[in-house]
Amino acid sequence: MEQKTITITIDEQGTAAIDLEGFEGRGCEKAFEDFRGGDRVTMERKKPAYYTNQQPEQKKSQR
Amino acid sequence: MSKYAQLVTEVREEKYLVEALKEMGYEVEVHPEGAPLGRYYSEQEDKRANIIIRRSQLHGAFGDIGFARQTDGRLVAIVDELDQQCGYGAKWLGRVQQLYKEKQTLATARAKGYILKSREVVETRDGQQVRLQFVVRR
Repeated sequence: MEQKTITITIDEQGTAAIDLEGFEGRGCEKAFEDFRGGDRVTMERKKPAYYTNQQPEQKKSQR
Repeated sequence: MSKYAQLVTEVREEKYLVEALKEMGYEVEVHPEGAPLGRYYSEQEDKRANIIIRRSQLHGAFGDIGFARQTDGRLVAIVDELDQQCGYGAKWLGRVQQLYKEKQTLATARAKGYILKSREVVETRDGQQVRLQFVVRR
């Protein structure tokens, strides 16, 4: 299983970047919110693994 | 990889701001109820701040620099226009924000149980970048 890592890059212009690797589904959002620290998001890009293990909504079947 | 985001650092937590300013070598006054910033000419508008660096601490500055708490919780810098042109402009403030964000990130990571794997300072064309890498405790 891929290790979950969080890389925060903080520059001298008052901006930062968060790169989450190895996360799947809701764990990704939790880690992101842990590190966002109330900052304003200016750009966000989800990667394919983000959607892994996200259960599609089940259709209700009527019999 | 699963997500990448860019953020603008918003200073909200007094503790980490004070730590950042101290690391830059300043003695800082903290006024929970706010205190007036010193004026250097009589017509200057009265301004109040919650965190103040007096001009005696600021090499070459004309006035005090303060950070005032806003209704939305942010601590916003109050820097005289002249001082913004004398070394206390965007670059100075960016350095404050950088130190603030690093301190806040390290403290949050400790509190939430993440493990610091590495810290490196990278020289770029736009100045230094601090890169912190954490791993999730298994």
